[in-house]
Amino acid sequence: MWSIVKSVLAALIGVQKNQRREEDFTSGRPAAFIITGIVVTLVFVLILITLANFVAR
Amino acid sequence: MAPKLPPQPPLQHSTTAVADGQAHGHAAPPKGILRWLLTTNHKEIGSLYLIFSLIMFFIGGIFALVVRAELFQPGLQLVNPEFFNQMTTMHGLIMVFAAVMPAFTGLANWMIPLQIGAPDMALPRLNNFSFWLLPVAFTLLLSTLLMPGGGPNFGWTFYAPLSTTYAPPSTTFFILALHIAGISSILGAINIVATILNMRAPGMRLMDMPLFVWTWLITAFLLIAVMPVLAGVITMMLMDINFGTSFFDAAGGGDPVLFQHLFWFFGHPEVYIMILPAFGIVSAIIPTFARKPLFGYASMVYAVAAIALLSFLVWAHHMFVVGLPLAAELFFMYTTMLIAVPTGVKVFNWVTTLFRGSISFESPMLFALAFVVLFTIGGFSGLMLAIAPADFQYHDTYFVVAHFHYVLVPGAIFAIMAGVYYWLPKWTGHYPNERLAQWHFWFSVIGVNLTFFPMHFAGLAGMPRRIPDYALQFADFNFVSSVGAFFFGTSQLLFVLVIVLCVRGGKKAPAKAWEGAVDLEWTVPSPAPLHTFETPPVFQRASH
Amino acid sequence: MRSAWRWLLAISLTVSGSQVHANGWNMPVGVTDISADIYNLHMTIFWICVVIGVLVFGVMFYSLFRYRHSKGAKAANFHEHTSVEVLWTAVPILILVGMAVPATATLKNMYDTSDAELDVMITGQQWRWRYEYLGEDVAFNSNMSTPRAQIRGEEERGEHYLLEVDEPLVLPINRKVRFLMTSDDVIHSWWVPDFAVKQDTIPGFINENWVKINEPGIYRGQCAELCGMDHGFMPIVVHAMEEEEFDGWLAERKEAAEEEAMGVDRDWALDELMERGESVYQAICSSCHQAEGQGAAPAFPALAGNEELINDLDWHLNVVLNGASGTAMPAFRSTLNPVEIAAVVTYTRNAWGNDTGDVVQPSMVAETIAQ
Repeated sequence: MWSIVKSVLAALIGVQKNQRREEDFTSGRPAAFIITGIVVTLVFVLILITLANFVAR
Repeated sequence: MAPKLPPQPPLQHSTTAVADGQAHGHAAPPKGILRWLLTTNHKEIGSLYLIFSLIMFFIGGIFALVVRAELFQPGLQLVNPEFFNQMTTMHGLIMVFAAVMPAFTGLANWMIPLQIGAPDMALPRLNNFSFWLLPVAFTLLLSTLLMPGGGPNFGWTFYAPLSTTYAPPSTTFFILALHIAGISSILGAINIVATILNMRAPGMRLMDMPLFVWTWLITAFLLIAVMPVLAGVITMMLMDINFGTSFFDAAGGGDPVLFQHLFWFFGHPEVYIMILPAFGIVSAIIPTFARKPLFGYASMVYAVAAIALLSFLVWAHHMFVVGLPLAAELFFMYTTMLIAVPTGVKVFNWVTTLFRGSISFESPMLFALAFVVLFTIGGFSGLMLAIAPADFQYHDTYFVVAHFHYVLVPGAIFAIMAGVYYWLPKWTGHYPNERLAQWHFWFSVIGVNLTFFPMHFAGLAGMPRRIPDYALQFADFNFVSSVGAFFFGTSQLLFVLVIVLCVRGGKKAPAKAWEGAVDLEWTVPSPAPLHTFETPPVFQRASH
Repeated sequence: MRSAWRWLLAISLTVSGSQVHANGWNMPVGVTDISADIYNLHMTIFWICVVIGVLVFGVMFYSLFRYRHSKGAKAANFHEHTSVEVLWTAVPILILVGMAVPATATLKNMYDTSDAELDVMITGQQWRWRYEYLGEDVAFNSNMSTPRAQIRGEEERGEHYLLEVDEPLVLPINRKVRFLMTSDDVIHSWWVPDFAVKQDTIPGFINENWVKINEPGIYRGQCAELCGMDHGFMPIVVHAMEEEEFDGWLAERKEAAEEEAMGVDRDWALDELMERGESVYQAICSSCHQAEGQGAAPAFPALAGNEELINDLDWHLNVVLNGASGTAMPAFRSTLNPVEIAAVVTYTRNAWGNDTGDVVQPSMVAETIAQ
């Protein structure tokens, strides 16, 4: 689980080791990555919205 | 990453494929104009797209030159403000929807099947249809210039209510034309996604694909996501104009700002639609001529995905001065600044690919290198524009015009030219005339900078966009820009000359036309026969 | 946050030299605290870009020169280096956070329109600005005053070509002035670079912005959002005065406005109305209906010889007061006063061969508006 989150975060900033990428792509569980990706994106957006609202006060 | 092919079977298959094609009982292809109207071959359709976009590049260019001629000196000399506005609008619309986008689709049509070892696109008839929609759409769009009241005159961003309540009568035709072009884009994108996901050579996984294929896969998803939004917003305009609704009319309870939100939710991903495939082309060319594998292939793919994702979260940075709430301004400022990170990763990767390479400077490489430098300059001004408080000064000035022309002309268009010079040997079997191509390159680089660099200064000094006449302190900048524009415009005739000469003859190119080239397209003969990879090649991953 | 801001400011000032006035190549420092803050943000991010550019292009051109194939360079085969990649991801993020902090502070300041001492309503119209001093009963239109002959090149162009108006907005220095901005037709954008105020004026919406000018002077700007044919010809001129001078000016304008209001009740002679009407027509109507009332087909109908106009006074007055829906003709009932409306209607009914002989009295217009 944690390794999936780490890979998705790596994708978000665009830095990934080739070896880890190979591992991810042979895991055979694309759905897990897609769901984690969507969740991480939502969390990312929520964090930014919260930050913007907090700063704007 | 560099995919290498076992040298044996596919070559023989693809060469025999031409003869096979007829033996299999395909009907004899129609001759003359019908051949082109009815073709379902990805290479022929690719060529049609490319020729169409080249013609439109010149038409849009002529509109730009009308604008630049009027701005050559203060005062109104050549055209009236009404026509001037039509020219700026049409220049933008034609360049975005009829020149840059079809050029990338043309390259995709030609090269994606060749790069993934597929015999054709997944949906060949749909492919034919999506191309032939384009001449219809843009003939209709151009014809509005001849209608009473003139063509669209509200800028390529067509903000309501200027484009609804206050628009010329031809606006309904403009909407129809954009609908047709939009359908063409969506169908083309669906086709590309279907091709890439289903028709890769056995053994080629997603992460083995060349970056041009990757960038186009992501671009196609962007297109499918946002073209319907454009269709929605122009349909709302259509309703406002013709059926008495008030989506964007404050007097009827509507909201003019809603238009901008919808437009830019389409418009910002659209910007990346025009640059991501360019990243792919440059990522193919730089390793080829540095004779060294691309640095950080995985990072490149992830960076493109990150840029595509962020592109949905930044649209309101085009609207920093419409009076958004403070929290919204901050949110969009932060997301926009973040885009600099993956974009920076890409530039660093290209530069590092060059480091300790073995670099030669053929024309595709020259254009690709100019792309890296000049696109980065456009990226820098983009970063400046992301700073919301400063954007209150930059917004809607020539600084913005300079910014997006730097990312679109020496960005997208240079990448297209680089791609054309890179793949011309594959398409025609001849190398382009290198001497003329180099002249074309140097004229283009000088012309582009002469045209667009002074616009930074004009904008900072306070010149707004889209004005037909300007105060005297902007005269010098505009003089230089206009001279540069005519120089750049004229030198593009060289491009046509090189292409025509290359189609007609020239130095013969072998299958692998460039020493450092590695992708699958270089395993089929030059020129590529009409049918290739009828039997899929066996793809073997390069070992690192 | 504060100290980071000062630190960045110090850098940018050191590097750029503390130039105060615009040199015509760069963004003006301007005459408000906000405009100076924005100038500093602009210069800071500019120099950051320059430094990154020098580094990146330096490595690039070094590589291009050093590793030429023609000089027999042999390509290495590396294609990955995680720590370098992490580094060039992390460093930009840090720089961006460093930029975001002062930018956020400035933006918050720009959004704080509280405690204004004067409210000015700015209304965009195709193609002029209207200024209204709220609570002071002073309002006027501001039109470009550059003659069309200069634009066509028939006359020598003046120093402030395209950046001059018949009546500038007058503001006091050292007082916080709040702008309330809206539009009567399409979206415009009110921009004065020296104040770093650029705000869209949107029909049906009221936007806010504010300015506190530090130095008296005359500041010029332009409409920044494409708003149709004469988008390039709706400049903004602001005359910033010392506070006492401004108070005197405002009192004077109030008096004049009262006098004008009195004028509604008296009977005006035809000549008087024609003279006033011509100046209103040239300032307000001529950009669409043209100087001689000939119009510009198909959007802007001719007024000279217009049968409907000549035959139907009530219709004519109604169109001027309420606009014509579905066209570019706006309603003038609230942007022109009864005297001006009466004068311009009388003028168009009697000029260019429209010899109806009709005299429309301001009192009659006031009555119609009241209904």
